[in-house]
Amino acid sequence: MKISRLLFISILSISFISCGISTDNDIDLDIPADYTFTRNGSSSVSFSGQTTRIKMATELVSAMMAFDTSTEESLLEMFRNETSQGGDADPFADAELNASTKSIKSKVAASADFYSANTTESAEIKADFEAWISAQVNEVFPNEDSLARPGVAGQIADGSSTRYVSAKGLEYNQLVAKGLIGALMTDQMLNNYLSVSVLDAGSNQQDNNSEVLVDGQNYTNMEHKWDEAYGYLFGASQDPANPLATLGDDNFLNKYLGRVVDNPLFSTVGVDVYNAFKTGRAAIVASEYDIRDERANIIRDRISAVIAIRAIYYLQAGKDALSGTEKDFGAAFHDLSEGYGFVYSLQFTRIPGTNTPFFTRSEVEGFLNDLMGDGENGLWDVTPQTLDDISASIAAKFNFNVEQAAS
Amino acid sequence: MRALTILFLLLSVLTVSCTETDLSGPSSNDFDRQAMLENWADNIIIPSYEAFSGHMATLHADAEAFTTTPNQTTLDQLRNSWETAYLSWQNVSQFEIGTAAQIRYRDNMNIYPVNTTELEKNIADGSYNLSLPAENDRQGFPALDYLLFGLSTNDGDILDYYTTHQNANGYKTYLLALTERMKGLTDTVLDSWETGYRDEFVQNSGNGANSSVDMMVNDYVFYYEKVLRAGKIGIPAGVFSGSPLPTHVEAYYNQELSKALALEAIDAAQAFFNGEYFDGNGSGESLKSYLDFLNTMKEGADLSNRINTQFESARSQANSLSSNFRVQINTDNSAMLSTYDQLQRNVVFLKVDMLQALNINVDYIDADGD
Repeated sequence: MKISRLLFISILSISFISCGISTDNDIDLDIPADYTFTRNGSSSVSFSGQTTRIKMATELVSAMMAFDTSTEESLLEMFRNETSQGGDADPFADAELNASTKSIKSKVAASADFYSANTTESAEIKADFEAWISAQVNEVFPNEDSLARPGVAGQIADGSSTRYVSAKGLEYNQLVAKGLIGALMTDQMLNNYLSVSVLDAGSNQQDNNSEVLVDGQNYTNMEHKWDEAYGYLFGASQDPANPLATLGDDNFLNKYLGRVVDNPLFSTVGVDVYNAFKTGRAAIVASEYDIRDERANIIRDRISAVIAIRAIYYLQAGKDALSGTEKDFGAAFHDLSEGYGFVYSLQFTRIPGTNTPFFTRSEVEGFLNDLMGDGENGLWDVTPQTLDDISASIAAKFNFNVEQAAS
Repeated sequence: MRALTILFLLLSVLTVSCTETDLSGPSSNDFDRQAMLENWADNIIIPSYEAFSGHMATLHADAEAFTTTPNQTTLDQLRNSWETAYLSWQNVSQFEIGTAAQIRYRDNMNIYPVNTTELEKNIADGSYNLSLPAENDRQGFPALDYLLFGLSTNDGDILDYYTTHQNANGYKTYLLALTERMKGLTDTVLDSWETGYRDEFVQNSGNGANSSVDMMVNDYVFYYEKVLRAGKIGIPAGVFSGSPLPTHVEAYYNQELSKALALEAIDAAQAFFNGEYFDGNGSGESLKSYLDFLNTMKEGADLSNRINTQFESARSQANSLSSNFRVQINTDNSAMLSTYDQLQRNVVFLKVDMLQALNINVDYIDADGD
């Protein structure tokens, strides 16, 4: 490996670490080799609710492409895990999901830090997802056998694959899938379960200090909250205690962490996040709350960067698809729909050491309006300049540039 | 593009010591690219299409004969012309440029495995629009493979679908619609070459990303990597998935043709590399002569020789396989993997070394598969 690249990567890594570098060399934390924590011989780690929601999201996104069997009602029921009257619904193929009382919707834009005092915005975000789900059925399903063209929904070739897009070139299933990465997984991780307000809620610190366990469980409340953050990233991993070997075990945050790690410029991001989770959890066991919070900030830094990197990556890939002598609209729409979802997810990121996202909802809406606003037919009209401008605005808040993120 | 550009730049730095191109002496601008384009168009591409078009006409005529009078004789005749046409197809599949690219020719002619559920639905519904992208996997050679060999395990039962089955008309209509479409698309592509595209192709003899050489070489390397190496060998052998996928072999239902198709494709790919006339009576300017003109070496030997030697190794390894790839995969998949490995070595020579020597950038991304 060339020296200049090594240097480059080290500089990147160092600049990623948030300002409050811990001096925890003098504290003896018992950090396990993998994410295994036990008490009295059994595991104290639990994140079944997160695994459940990842499975629900997986079924929902897949069902959005089931033209022959899904209806607006069936898809919304999957999102809500209840009927439109609030009654019990069984929308999933997996019986366990139907039996669950959990839902995707209840945890979309639901973090304590960002939305406990902003239910208006939370409701708007939930409504965004329901609008995309409905639009898939009402706009795209009826045009399944039409060829897409400006102003007309339908199918379009992307190499040997077929994409189904709205009149403006958007794949609604991608908006939902990539949007949930932000609104569900990222928001719950960075702004809820890693948050001081949740970890230290009520008597959590005292209870954790004295090992007062949650009724009927083998963990303290604080341990559990931390594990729930872990679960949104690694809850579907084949071996959740050793998840880095099989990144891509789900199609959400886990997969895209893996994609970012595949870029040699960001190859340590996976290990950074995993180690921060492991150390933070060990810190909880040792009642070392400053260390815990430092690790939470590292996770916020890295995960926020993953969202931003993938947003830029897809905007640039879309730009490339539109740059040949013959514009490849099918490929562009696929890339840009994914990009749309990641840009949407930027409002759920978290600047370490603050209580704000890297981009506000209003700024994100600005980006999306730009993306869709170069002409009356949305992505059919988007210009390379617009894609570059949005990419540059995103990169400006991080320590990498557009070209690095796009590579 | 970006990922490959950066990787390519890094690799260029690393490989400059391995692939030697003189800094003085002949440059790519001194090579007669137009002569190479003319050789490609006039002696390889157009003759290949003319031959294939002839076989497609026969295939369609035999389909008409079969659907008019379905019996063992007409079925055998149709199967023969399908086989001949499928082998001939391997000579043109690599030229997905110009009109062929615009009409998504290869995707309409040879996407496999065929989606039999949707195909049967098309036949049952009686209405379908084969020009839609989603219909890729319900038409072309693989769909015919299913209709001629896959409907049942014995010929008598297969014939019933076209005679006594309550929707025999549906089956006949669909089969004929497929061959008619394949013939029509082929005529469109050949027509384009013969009435204007040939001149456009040959005159666009510059060195930039939108020049004919650049585009054709990219299409050729893409074909070699994705359609030949992965499509015919790698994917069925399970290289890109957790386990082998015998259902993904070419000519799955016929069973005995897979190896012949792969060998024909390897032959065609090598012949194109060496600029050999389609009629076999000579050769002209080619990628080989281009590399030789530039004295491109790789670790002490001519790159073009390394490429040809590697083609030989791949052919030899492929030759040792059973003619029935399904059987090969199920009895000894490691032989498929060895074939893949031999094909893979040329990917490096072609996609990295050759492109660098010719100063051509890769124009396709190895997509996420998102």
